[in-house]
Amino acid sequence: MARETKEVEQRGIRSSTASGRGPVWGSVLFLSGALLLAGCPKRPEVQTGAVRAAEEKVVIGEKEIVVVEEASLNDVFFDFDKSLIRSDAKVALGNDIKWLKANAGVRIVVEGHADERGTNEYNLALGNRRVKAVRDYLVAGGINAKRISTISYGEERPFVVGHDESAWKWNRRGHFVVAK
Amino acid sequence: MNGLRRILPLALVVCGGLLAASASAQVDITVTRKIVHRIPIAVVGLRPTRMASRGPDLAAKTQSILVSDLEFSTTFEVLPPAFLPFEPREIRLGEEEKVLPSLNQLQVQAMLAVDLTKQGKELVLEGRVYNVSRGTFLGGKRYFGDAKALRTMVHRLADEVVFWLTGERGVASTRIAFATAERRTTELYLMDYDGHNAVLATGNRSINLSPRFSPDGKLLAYTSYRDGNPDLYLLNLETGKRKKVSAVPGLNISPAWSPGGRLLALSLSKGGGTNLYLMRPTGGGLRRLTNGLGISVSPSFSPNGRQIAFTSDRGGSPQVYMVEIEGTNLRRLTFDGGYNASPRWSPRGDKIAFISDRAGGGFQIYLMNPDGSGVQQITTSGSNEDPAWSPDGRHLVFTSNRSGTKDVYVMHADGSGQKRLTRNALNNFAPDWSP
Repeated sequence: MARETKEVEQRGIRSSTASGRGPVWGSVLFLSGALLLAGCPKRPEVQTGAVRAAEEKVVIGEKEIVVVEEASLNDVFFDFDKSLIRSDAKVALGNDIKWLKANAGVRIVVEGHADERGTNEYNLALGNRRVKAVRDYLVAGGINAKRISTISYGEERPFVVGHDESAWKWNRRGHFVVAK
Repeated sequence: MNGLRRILPLALVVCGGLLAASASAQVDITVTRKIVHRIPIAVVGLRPTRMASRGPDLAAKTQSILVSDLEFSTTFEVLPPAFLPFEPREIRLGEEEKVLPSLNQLQVQAMLAVDLTKQGKELVLEGRVYNVSRGTFLGGKRYFGDAKALRTMVHRLADEVVFWLTGERGVASTRIAFATAERRTTELYLMDYDGHNAVLATGNRSINLSPRFSPDGKLLAYTSYRDGNPDLYLLNLETGKRKKVSAVPGLNISPAWSPGGRLLALSLSKGGGTNLYLMRPTGGGLRRLTNGLGISVSPSFSPNGRQIAFTSDRGGSPQVYMVEIEGTNLRRLTFDGGYNASPRWSPRGDKIAFISDRAGGGFQIYLMNPDGSGVQQITTSGSNEDPAWSPDGRHLVFTSNRSGTKDVYVMHADGSGQKRLTRNALNNFAPDWSP
C-alpha cells in the first residue's frame, strides 16, 4: 500500500515540474494521489518534502540555498484556523525527528501555509504560528533550533488548487524544505 | 413619447420602493433619496472626431467615458439624448447657451457642453459647465494630449464638473492598486479607477501583497518576498524607486498609513505572536501597540489619526478590535459571526467597512458605526473580501469570487452599482484606492 501510494504521488509531482510548475495541472494529478490516500484513514502521510525538495530554490536572508537533498520528511497538516499539532501530525513529526537526528548535518526550512479561507493578511500570521508550533515541537524533540529556519506563505502558495475541504485540508500545512 | 420615457424608470423605482416598504421602511427611503439626490445634467456637443479618416470616433468614446464617470459619481443623472428636444451632438461650442431655456423647461439643472477637436497630432478637449436654471456659466477647462491620453483627459474633465457643481472632489482621476496571482508569482498593478490602463508596479517574480497608497498618493507601501523574507517596502510612484523600510526576520506585513502620512502601522512577528507596531515611514521610531501571543493584523487609522481598527484572534476567533494609538483602551467591536476582519475606516469617519462570515457561505462586506453599532450588509453575491474606500467615501473597491476567479469590483457605499473591473482570467485581489 505505502509503496503504491508513493509512486502515484511522485508521478503527480514530477508532472507538475515538467509542466513548468503549473499549479493547476500539477494539483489535478496530485489529487488522484490524494484520492488514493483517502483510503488510508487518519494518516495523510504525504511525503511531499521528499519530492518537492528537489525542485525548490529558497532564498533566506542574503544567502541563496539550492535545495538538492532527498529527504524523507513528512509534512504536517492542521485544522482550520488552528496551529495545534494534531495526533496524526505528532506521528509524522516523530518520524521527522528520527530522520533529522540521523542526518545531523541537514538544515531545514519549515514553510507555513493556510487554506484560502479568511484574509490574506491574517493567513500570513496563521502560517507563521503554524511554523512556530512545528519548530517548537522539533526543538522539544531534541533538534537544534539553529538547524531550523521558518517562513510563512499564508494562503499565497496553495499545495492543491481547489475551493472545498478536499483541497483545503492539504493547504493547511507545515511543509519541509531541506536546505544544503 | 419622450415624456413617457422620462417617467417610466421613475415609476418603476417608486413601485419597487412601495413593495419594499412592506418589508422594510428603510429600503423605501434609500431608493427614493438616491433618485432625488442626483443632479439632472445634459451633455451636449461632441460632434464626430477621428484621428485618421477611417479611425474610430473619439468623440463617441469621450461621450461614453464622460457619461460613465458622471453616473458613477452618484452626483449626476445624465439625461439620455433621446429625451432632449434637440440633437445634443449637433451643438457647437459657442452656441450652447441657446439651448439653456429649453433645458430649463425640462427642469434639467446642469449642462455640460463639450468639444473634442484634432490639432495636428494632438487632441483638444474642452468642457464648459452651466447652471441651467440661473442660466449662468460656472467654469470651463481645456485639455491637450495625444489619443492615448484621452481617457485621462476625460476623467479630469469629469472631476472638474463634479467640483463646479458640488464643491467636492470627484474620483474619476484616481487609481486602484491590486495584486494579481499567476502561477508562483503575485505582482502588484495600478489601474485607473474604472479598470482601464493597468500597469505593473512590482515585477520581481516573487510574492507581493497589501498595497497601500500614502495619503499624498506618492508612495505605495507593500509587503514583498523579493529577498526571501516578507519585508515591507515603499515604492515611490513618481520616481519608481523602491526602499525597504522594515525587514525584521519573520512577518513585516499589513501596512496602514496614518492620515497625515507621518506614521505607518504594520504587523511584525517579533517574539511569540504577530502584533501591531507603529513606525516612521523613513524606517525609525518603532513602537509596539499590541501584546500577546495572538494575531493582530490589518490596521486602519481613524481619519483623526487617534485610533486604529484591526483584526485580532485574541478572543479565540478573528474579530474586529479598536485601540488608541497610545496602545490604550483596546476593545472588541464585533461579536456576531465566527470570523470578522479587514476593517477599513471611511474617510469621513462615520463608518467602518469590514468582512464577516455571519451570513454563512463565505464572506460578505458590512458597514458599522465606529462603536460597533448599526451593522448593515452591503454585498450578497459570492464571497467578498478586502473592502477599501474611495477618497470621497462614496464608493468601495473590493474582491469577489462571484465570477469563478477572484476579481476586483467597485460599488457605491450603499452596495448599489456593483461593477467588475478586472477580467484577465487570473486571481486579482487586495485592492487599495488612491487619494
